[in-house]
Amino acid sequence: MTRVDHLSFERLDVDGALAESAERAWGMSRGTFLAAAAGGSAAVIGLTARDAAAQGGKLGARDVAILNYALVLEYLQSSFYTEAERLKALRGDAAEAARVVGSVERAHVKAFRDVLGSKATKRPSFDFQGTTEGQEPFLKTAVAFEDLAVAAYKGQATRLKAQSALTAAVSIHSVEARHAAWMRYLVGANPARTAFDQPKSKSEINRIVRSTNFITSRASTQRKKAPRFTG
Amino acid sequence: MTRAAQDRFRRSDLLKRSLVVGGAALGGAVLSGAPRATDAAQNPDADIRALNLLLKVEYAEAALYAEAIKSGALDGELLEFARQVAEQEQAHLDFLRQQLGSRADRRPEYDFKDATEDSDSFVKAATELEDLAVAAYNGQATNVSRAALEAAATIVSVEARHAAWIRSIVGRLPASSATDSPKSADQVLESLSRLEG
Repeated sequence: MTRVDHLSFERLDVDGALAESAERAWGMSRGTFLAAAAGGSAAVIGLTARDAAAQGGKLGARDVAILNYALVLEYLQSSFYTEAERLKALRGDAAEAARVVGSVERAHVKAFRDVLGSKATKRPSFDFQGTTEGQEPFLKTAVAFEDLAVAAYKGQATRLKAQSALTAAVSIHSVEARHAAWMRYLVGANPARTAFDQPKSKSEINRIVRSTNFITSRASTQRKKAPRFTG
Repeated sequence: MTRAAQDRFRRSDLLKRSLVVGGAALGGAVLSGAPRATDAAQNPDADIRALNLLLKVEYAEAALYAEAIKSGALDGELLEFARQVAEQEQAHLDFLRQQLGSRADRRPEYDFKDATEDSDSFVKAATELEDLAVAAYNGQATNVSRAALEAAATIVSVEARHAAWIRSIVGRLPASSATDSPKSADQVLESLSRLEG
């Protein structure tokens, strides 16, 4: 059992790096951004604090497993965007998107790590197989990652028992969908292909992630294969 | 992925397979395209209340897009957006009404006159309404049965896509914060009445 550190979710929206990115990328003033972000997080925290108290601040084994699964997906995304930003191979809107979305995914990682504490899965090593080194492979991979994240959250978040965890997960799920639409727009694909977004099971998600060979911290004999671009 | 993480994933897969009810609901969703949310046995009244609130939001969205398309104020990407999104909101509306059956609230009268007169006003209203939809769905997540939650989850991410899409079209930041905060039923109703004008 792990203690629910509901306060950690409070830091999601007011992460300093995130505010700085928004300012750099979009000319939003820091004050404007922080005001908007703080307004957003207050409601989330109001719920999580109340619910965590009601449950005695405990997370069950299943919830811990689900949050760790989300954490691995957030590691994957945040490492991808951080690397793309560092390599400086992107230009224009794609570079801005990598910067802003990267900050958000890093904030998600931090929130899950804080909530899970010592139960948090470690960050694996990644090899993005060159997809962070060029505009087009970056955007296609970003679309695949974001659509995957939406389907994964949808498949698992609904199984969370703790209300605090469910509230947090759904509030992240829809942000991933915003990212998916954003990346799709940048690559010239339809941002909302269907009226209903379907979930994907853990085994489907795991199979897709494995097929990319992006995760290298375990023995692998397969070679390069780009993630399926579903645009 | 670490070996420990892999082991955790495998254990959870076993757990998932044992959840027959959830599995059946999802299987149906994949087959028909639209989700099924018919299992509100534990507290049907709570589900009915929540789904009727979401139906109100969908009515407002469908009405806004229909009125905007009819007004002739939109062209190019915005018109393309409005047409596609109008169809998707109609699909959401049909789905919710089907779930609610005879307990579905009637369609209110809407008049978005000012909001559909020019493209700038339309963008403002549509952005606000799509964000409101996301907040409304997120806000009901903890109030409904698991089946209703799974169904609503297939819709809320599409609303979020719409919210980011229209911002992209007009060059605004498509996703500005790390979380989408929920809105309570009262907050949603208040925002709706303000938007209806």
